[in-house]
Amino acid sequence: MSSALEVNVSTGEANPYTPSVAADPIPFYSALRTHCPVATMEGMQGAGVYIISRYEDVRWALKHPEIFSSDLVAVDIGQDRPLIPLQIDPPEHAKYRRVIDPTLGPHEMAPLEDEIRLRVNEVIDQFVADGQVDAHAQFSVPLPGKVFLQMTGLPLDDLDLLLNWKDEIIRPGGGLLPPEEATPRRRAAGADLYGYFADVLKDRAENPGTDLLSRFFGTEVDGREMSNDEMLDICYLFILGGLDTVTSTLDCSLAYLAQNPEYRAALVQDPSRIPAAVEELLRFHTPVMQILRVIKEPTELHGVKMNTGDTVLLMLGAADTDPSEFGETAEEYCIDREVNRHLAFGGGPHRCLGSHLARLELRVALEEWHRRIPDYRITEGFELAYSPGIREVEKLPLEFMPLKLNSGV
Amino acid sequence: MSRMRILLDLDACTGHGRCYSLAPKVFGSDDLGHCELLLAEPPEELRESARRAVATCPEGALTIQETA
Repeated sequence: MSSALEVNVSTGEANPYTPSVAADPIPFYSALRTHCPVATMEGMQGAGVYIISRYEDVRWALKHPEIFSSDLVAVDIGQDRPLIPLQIDPPEHAKYRRVIDPTLGPHEMAPLEDEIRLRVNEVIDQFVADGQVDAHAQFSVPLPGKVFLQMTGLPLDDLDLLLNWKDEIIRPGGGLLPPEEATPRRRAAGADLYGYFADVLKDRAENPGTDLLSRFFGTEVDGREMSNDEMLDICYLFILGGLDTVTSTLDCSLAYLAQNPEYRAALVQDPSRIPAAVEELLRFHTPVMQILRVIKEPTELHGVKMNTGDTVLLMLGAADTDPSEFGETAEEYCIDREVNRHLAFGGGPHRCLGSHLARLELRVALEEWHRRIPDYRITEGFELAYSPGIREVEKLPLEFMPLKLNSGV
Repeated sequence: MSRMRILLDLDACTGHGRCYSLAPKVFGSDDLGHCELLLAEPPEELRESARRAVATCPEGALTIQETA
């Protein structure tokens, strides 16, 4: 079934949260942009939930936080307070970014490359001799987790615990539970996550190291020391933002390259093309399909009035495949794309603060994977199931020629 | 010889980092990951990469002035 059918052009209603949209969102995005650039959430007419899809509109909204606010405490992701800095509006927002961005900035990330390369190879070592792998469970999931634990100085044994809380918050029960079941699960996992980091921070206050979390202590925000709650609110975001999004991007990338041998061969032959491929994979798949904003000042777009308190989904994936920005090849994967102003990391002041780390992880992961496993395919007959919202796959069974265990690093 | 001058609007830059990835000799980054102009008037051999980097900025924070 084409995902375009999830857009009702006569009523202007649409629903992005379906498996068919997550599996193949491009027809859905195209129908949105063409027929209802400001759609309303299906079944929620009058509730004030809108979907914005054209590149210029999404970009404009991202750059106007005074209208499209991130003050989203009403959106329950198990949190007790706004996540910092994700759910804080300017000008407060900039005070936090000024101290957090340098810890994940390009100058800090570059020296991590060798360590990340080692982690990638350790993960590949686990299955390279088998000739088959569930690349989701055995590669895309553990890799960003291991990197995060290393950066924060947390024990590797805690990875399963953290991943479980993250999944319980982002997609309890696989993401298709009704709110009355999902909400208590989110809140329970959120409480556990706060508790875990409260203990970790207490320990770091007493025994500071050089890790990312220890660096919070003595950090000044607006001329005063950061409070314990503020540090917790940043940790909460690190788990939700840092672990899930790189996983979904690796899933989308490997699944796509497994099905498109010519693009894969290009990367194997010339690994210097990988950075540009990462950008095109990010654009074409836009794993974080949409981000939420809440209207703070009444505004009007394409004849649709949005009022204070209304919720807006900025459909990043639709913006990233808009022909008005990306030309005739907007809806295709284009190996030689010259100009790629994609918004896969968002834009405006809330531009993803982990993007420098994410790019480094994605590049090194694709470099090492293709150096060691140049040829692979999805197990015949297996149907990939993508989760809506953040597009990861449930399972990614790949087959390849088994190799001797020799990472060569 | 023609001249090319790059202008940076630091208020618009939010640190995507596309410019210094694509043209690392022309653009650098500060600690936050925001753009720093290394060569506001890049020599001939760096202009193509500079043009591409300017066109790729998602925030439109970079512009080019060319004079004959």
